Amino acid sequence: MAKTILIVDDSASMRQVVGIALKGAGYEVIEACDGKDALSKLTGVKIHLIVSDINMPVMDGITFVKEVKQLDNYKFTPIIMLTTEMEDDKKRAAKEAGAKAWVTKPFQPPILLAAIAKLVLP
Amino acid sequence: MSNINPALETFSQEVDELLTAMEDALLVLESTPDDTDCINSIFRAMHTIKGSSGLFGFDHVVAFTHEAETVLDRVRNGERAIDPELIAVLLACKDHTAQIIQHVLFNEDEPLPEALQQQGQVLIAELTGSSAAAGNGMPTTQEEKAGHFEVDPNTTDSSDNWVISLAFKQDALRNGMDPLSFIRYLQTLGKIIEVIVTMPTMPRIEDMNPEYCYLNFKIAFNSNADKKTIENVFEFAEDDCEIAILPPNSRQEHYLQLLDNLPEDQFKRLGEMLIEIGALTEKEVALTLNEQSDDDNEEIKPLGEMLVAKNILQQPVIEQALKKQESVKQKINKESSYIRVDAAKLGYLINLVGELVISGAAMRLMVDKHGLSDVDDVASTMSHLVEDIRDTALQLRMVQIGETFTRFQRVVHDVSKELGKQIQLQITGGESELDKTVVEKINDPLTHLVRNSLDHGIETPEVRVQAGKPEKGTIHLNAYHDSGRIVIQISDDGQGLDPEKILAKAIAKDLVKPDQTLSQSEIYNLIFEPGLSTKEEASNLSGRGVGMDVVRRNIEALRGSVFVDSELGQGTTVTIHLPLTLAIIDGFMVEAQKERYIIPLSMVEECVEMSSDEWQIDDTQHYVNLRGHVLPYLRLGDFFHKNKKHTHTQRESLVVVRFGEAKAGFVVDELHGENQTVIKPLGKLFENLDGIGGATVLGSGDVALILDVQGLIQHAKKRVRPTLALTSAF
Amino acid sequence: MSAKAKKNEGILQLSIKDDMTIYNAESLKETLLGYCQPGTQELQLDLSAVAEIDSAGLQLLLLLKAEAQQRGFILRLLRHSEAVIEVFELIKLGMYFGDPIVIPANWKKS
Repeated sequence: MAKTILIVDDSASMRQVVGIALKGAGYEVIEACDGKDALSKLTGVKIHLIVSDINMPVMDGITFVKEVKQLDNYKFTPIIMLTTEMEDDKKRAAKEAGAKAWVTKPFQPPILLAAIAKLVLP
Repeated sequence: MSNINPALETFSQEVDELLTAMEDALLVLESTPDDTDCINSIFRAMHTIKGSSGLFGFDHVVAFTHEAETVLDRVRNGERAIDPELIAVLLACKDHTAQIIQHVLFNEDEPLPEALQQQGQVLIAELTGSSAAAGNGMPTTQEEKAGHFEVDPNTTDSSDNWVISLAFKQDALRNGMDPLSFIRYLQTLGKIIEVIVTMPTMPRIEDMNPEYCYLNFKIAFNSNADKKTIENVFEFAEDDCEIAILPPNSRQEHYLQLLDNLPEDQFKRLGEMLIEIGALTEKEVALTLNEQSDDDNEEIKPLGEMLVAKNILQQPVIEQALKKQESVKQKINKESSYIRVDAAKLGYLINLVGELVISGAAMRLMVDKHGLSDVDDVASTMSHLVEDIRDTALQLRMVQIGETFTRFQRVVHDVSKELGKQIQLQITGGESELDKTVVEKINDPLTHLVRNSLDHGIETPEVRVQAGKPEKGTIHLNAYHDSGRIVIQISDDGQGLDPEKILAKAIAKDLVKPDQTLSQSEIYNLIFEPGLSTKEEASNLSGRGVGMDVVRRNIEALRGSVFVDSELGQGTTVTIHLPLTLAIIDGFMVEAQKERYIIPLSMVEECVEMSSDEWQIDDTQHYVNLRGHVLPYLRLGDFFHKNKKHTHTQRESLVVVRFGEAKAGFVVDELHGENQTVIKPLGKLFENLDGIGGATVLGSGDVALILDVQGLIQHAKKRVRPTLALTSAF
Repeated sequence: MSAKAKKNEGILQLSIKDDMTIYNAESLKETLLGYCQPGTQELQLDLSAVAEIDSAGLQLLLLLKAEAQQRGFILRLLRHSEAVIEVFELIKLGMYFGDPIVIPANWKKS
């Protein structure tokens, strides 16, 4: 059974590129354009992993991660931050919020796929 | 292990202490079976003995204590209860351990006697036989599985597999970690051969929290990837998992080889070496070291031991690394192995040697006087020995001048920056040795001279370029030995001294008469006269020209001399001659007017008969023609006893002495030959005596004066009028 | 946790109808513990409907096996689903549980 991954990014093109890479690797993909949108999609579906940007309008990535950790059905879901941010402060904040991994843009599919493979069974 | 080394002694003591503690703890356990302190202490005894035995390669001990340790670990984890039978077995184990250690310590190369081997097997059976039934943690199949890939460097089974141990923390699952995902990902790097799952911390099913992670994995993994790559698989799990990656045995060979090939030029820490060969990753070292420093209630274990205990690296690799480290250490030590000795003790020793030399001479005298021919040989041997002792004792105080020289690198660097000049320091002859006391005293004058070169000698880059010289000036420090003295040269390729300026200044200061004719060299050396500075404005570095006379005074106080040579526009060289030591010299004893004098042997060139036929003696001008060279001479008798009328009845000898480039002859009545001379400084009262550098006590108890050759040569030269000397070239 | 049980002369048959993941580990544990009653001689777990199993689920199976040995009943795993087989294969557990694993014909070998 294919695993489902939620992509959260405000850039439609980014979502598309990541989506193609993930689908190519055999994952189901759900897209959301910011933290709030993503939270609204976390109902009634099984999500095995979340890939989220940090800088987004409406609700930023770190707030989103904190929110996810409050949801009974999703609180154990591994989250990978996919972002241009490089500062250690941001990294630490994301980690404290509950993100597991950190992949920096520009987006390189093999790196993200490796990170995902370490966190979910196929 | 054939040499009994101090480490073995420590090991033996440690074992004694540990086993005693173990016995005590076992006896306490008889009455209070669940005293955890006691259980821990027993466990630690076996564990520590196993670890240190491994370091020495005592495989029997390792094998046996390992079994005991395994059982005790179960006891510690509450998986096995302490009962009287177990205590009895453990007591026997303790005795057995002591026995096999005694055996390996004293008959290291012999195999274990049959009886001991059997005893060991029986004990192991008793230990483990009952344990299998008592286990209730993980079922037997997993236990058995564990058995065959227990990390044992001696077996070659499963040797080609990495052994990866993963101990996940309770919150791992809740943090979004799925251990299975990592293991699955691991497959992308190689083949998983075997997995053992254990749940050592699993509580009773009622108390088990299903969201907690109790899983530990031990994975036999076949892969050609390197350690770092494998470690990277678990990068996200780092916070939630303790990871140990033990390389396969086949890698061991590789690591051992790499260790062998490590260069031996630098002492490295164990961790550094292992990282360098790829046996450890930086993360592993950092983690282990952290643990080492956190672990403050127990005695700190060495890194190597911890790495083995944590299944990060095999014993042989650690051993090899330690050996390598030791050999590097020894190699480096061989190059610089020093004992610190109190300088005062050394001074005392040298004093004693001085006295010994004097009494040796006294004995020699008595032997000669009484014509004791049979004692003569013994006395000769002894004086040879005394001579050797003297040389060796003096050698003890000898240090290389190199260190003193290199200190100026910094001075040159700082000062040239400050002055806006570009200056490099060249050092040669740093290995020349001289007496420590001399080194200490020469530092100040040297500093002054180097600063002079920096300040007044080397020009600014612009000036240098204009003069067609390289932008960068050079100061050269050089040292070498010459006829029993050390010569130190400070030269620069700077602007040189201006003889006209110096002369003008000297005349102004009334140091020379305006009509006096001085050679170039004499003019240059005027800079050592008090109150002469060639620079109109002195800088804050080399002062106001008060320095150079102080420099000379300091050097002369060491029975040394200094002179300067220069060429205008090309540079200046200051040359310092110093005695190697201040304590004892090889002297040459002469006699004039019934007084004995010592001339430092190194300054004696030759002795000839003072015959007027042969040498064209000019008695009024005091020079002889020595094979075509004008040689001024001094009659020592006349010089030191001006009031006595000397008689020419005796046959006289001419001792030709040399100091630096200057030569002179001393006319004496008698030659007494070589003599080891212990220099006794003259008292304050006599320290300004002209021509006398010190005194020594002779074997007979008489005092002989040590001549200040340098001063006397000057005196001899003064008596020869320069004009005459110049025309007297035959 | 949805599970269906059948009881037959000390042999309990239980079909697990849900994922075995951390999200339902709590209820799964309660259910399983409920069947570890005295009098149970054999517990049969039908795993055919387990679409997903993670470490939390695996941990429960291992615990149940140990518990069975301790309490002296037999644990039998039946009709392993693909997800379960994959995990068992991964960490070489088939032998440990000792139950025959029937590999379906349409087994995707990854």
